[in-house]
Amino acid sequence: MRVEADELLVLVAGGDQKAFEDLYALVSGPVFGLVRRVVRDPAQSEEVAQEVLLELWRSAPRFDPGRGSALSWILTLAHRRAVDRVRSARAAGEREQREARRAHHPAFDQVAEEVEAGLEREWVRRCLDRLTALQRQSVTLAYYDGYTYREVAERLALPLGTVKTRMRDGLTRLRECLGGVA
Amino acid sequence: MSVFSRLRQGDLHSLAAPYALDALDPDERRRFERHLAGCDRCAAEVRALSQDAVRLAWTTTSVAPPALRDRVLTAVRNTPQDPAPGQDAARSRAPHLPPHVWGTEPPPARPRAPRLRPLFAPLATATAAAALVVAALFGVQAAQTQDKLDAERAQAREIAHVLAAPDARASSDADTRGRGIGVIASASEGRAVVTLSGLDALPGGRVHQLWLMRPHAHPRSLGLFDGDTPLVASGLDRKATSLAVTVEPDGGSPQPTSQPVVQLALQSVGFGQ
Repeated sequence: MRVEADELLVLVAGGDQKAFEDLYALVSGPVFGLVRRVVRDPAQSEEVAQEVLLELWRSAPRFDPGRGSALSWILTLAHRRAVDRVRSARAAGEREQREARRAHHPAFDQVAEEVEAGLEREWVRRCLDRLTALQRQSVTLAYYDGYTYREVAERLALPLGTVKTRMRDGLTRLRECLGGVA
Repeated sequence: MSVFSRLRQGDLHSLAAPYALDALDPDERRRFERHLAGCDRCAAEVRALSQDAVRLAWTTTSVAPPALRDRVLTAVRNTPQDPAPGQDAARSRAPHLPPHVWGTEPPPARPRAPRLRPLFAPLATATAAAALVVAALFGVQAAQTQDKLDAERAQAREIAHVLAAPDARASSDADTRGRGIGVIASASEGRAVVTLSGLDALPGGRVHQLWLMRPHAHPRSLGLFDGDTPLVASGLDRKATSLAVTVEPDGGSPQPTSQPVVQLALQSVGFGQ
């Protein structure tokens, strides 16, 4: 899938709309799933996913294959947009709304499975389980819930420096655990 | 005391992991990206950490709603792509895009010295993305005055609102003389953004008036165009079959007094059922 996405993105960069349809089929699930996980509100998630996928079309000519895989680029784009949206929603929303959502939204381990569990998904989960609790919480509160490291530090009652270190160690351990599964 | 003054240069390196997780606030993110541009070691490290972070997305894959596909593919058909690097994207787009497309950060007025670009180019705002589609479709002109700028911002919000409707669709058409009409419409909301292009300049005292055509009913006025500015129309009923534009005396007419200069069927955008 990754190789295929790389090749399709090159065609899309040349203005090939048919290639974009194929690329859409490959990446819309990962993009929408990621956005939905971070943003949570279904309507807003659709909006953000739409923006990301359109941005993918617009920005394709600027993609530099030397800097990473197409899928990484697309998901990085999607994640940043999702995080920006959830933060502005939080900033605009009332505190109680935020609390309600927090209470409502299940912890990472209990997230409902919407599609069949892929091998990669299981692998990442197993590797997340191998992190220390603080590493895992620091990483998942930031990535899946869109909190800044300052907010993560507040929520976990840890010094800022500790959170930054836990994030780095968590990501590095994840890399070691996942090994060649790139 | 600002966030910046609390952060010494040495501390910036420790932000690589939070940056890779998108866990910096906007000010810190910008500051870190500036730092990245001049620090090869950090760039390599951030790239590696970002690859790690992306793997976290493997657990969240889902199925996108089918309607999303239609909307994205429709928008793609009507949206030009950015130029490849080497051309200055910001400057080449600047002349024909309105200020609201740029949000609060206008493109640089003159070329800057070349420098390393950030690992991940900053994204346009949501409104900018929506406005860009419209600008691309219709070639909206840049505004000159603050009043007009404010009006355009308000209108950009209207346009973004229509575009964000779950059933928003776009359509456009032009005749052999290059006279065109474009629409982004939502049947569920009964709203549409309509823009004209390539029409002959009007003599003084005449305006372009937009009409909604429905079966077994008189045309209903949807408003008057103000130059090249898109017209936001509301109250469109689902039975509507087409839009038409006529030339009318200043102030508009209760019913059309001339033949349409352009017309557009609305079936492809969800009306006429």
